[in-house]
Amino acid sequence: MAKVAREMVEKAGVNVNQLLELLVKNASAELTTYYYYTILRTNLIGLAGEGLKEIAEVARIEDRNHFEALVPRIYELGGKLPGSMVEFHDMSACPPASLPKDPTDIKAMLTVLVEAERCAVRGYTHVCNLTTGKDHRTYDLALAILNEEIEHESWFSEFLGEGPSGHFMRRGETSPFVGKFLV
Amino acid sequence: MPARQITREELKQHDGRKGSPAYIGYRGLVYDVSESFLWMDGRHQATHLAGTDLSGELGQAPHGADLLQRFPVVGILLDPRQES
Repeated sequence: MAKVAREMVEKAGVNVNQLLELLVKNASAELTTYYYYTILRTNLIGLAGEGLKEIAEVARIEDRNHFEALVPRIYELGGKLPGSMVEFHDMSACPPASLPKDPTDIKAMLTVLVEAERCAVRGYTHVCNLTTGKDHRTYDLALAILNEEIEHESWFSEFLGEGPSGHFMRRGETSPFVGKFLV
Repeated sequence: MPARQITREELKQHDGRKGSPAYIGYRGLVYDVSESFLWMDGRHQATHLAGTDLSGELGQAPHGADLLQRFPVVGILLDPRQES
């Protein structure tokens, strides 16, 4: 634990135990999404599915990166991950992004993907709201993740024809915002 | 509109813990969020509790009240003045 770092956050008025619970729940959401997206990506086949595969893969890898970036902050603040993977899965901040009953239904797949990203966007907005001006490091991390989650949402939303967002698929390395936390 | 009238004390008892249903109040209505993955054990995003009136808190949430439409309305939340 980074004792003074935690003290500073507490002094700023943040309920650190509550924040830690949120960070662990979001870490769970990221790792479980990485798992469920693996299944979704595998099933994105055929004329419609293949076109989605690349962004689903980028979102999958970036979600895993988010998990990796969150873990050090959890421990810095004196928290920890549950010892049981089952417990960790079940405490996720977002519902499982399960494969639709009909895995050839690409619209259903997209709906699962965009709903997962929307849950993440809400979750990190919540963390940003709780930490802004108080816990600078967690805010910076949550904002970096939020930037990537918003792009993921936009990619899938555009495939659903909900309207343009001005984004394009990732060019260059993954996690352009969160990368600085992965060194 | 649901006919059942629910007092704040009744609402408090439906806190989603120990097998009890998870009810939340919002602008005079009571919603049953028991089936929501995001309300397990009567808690939502570590900061909100079932069994309470969230009319004030929802305005600060990163989502609108439209999400409540996914859940059944189980009653009308009585104003404390009506309760007496």
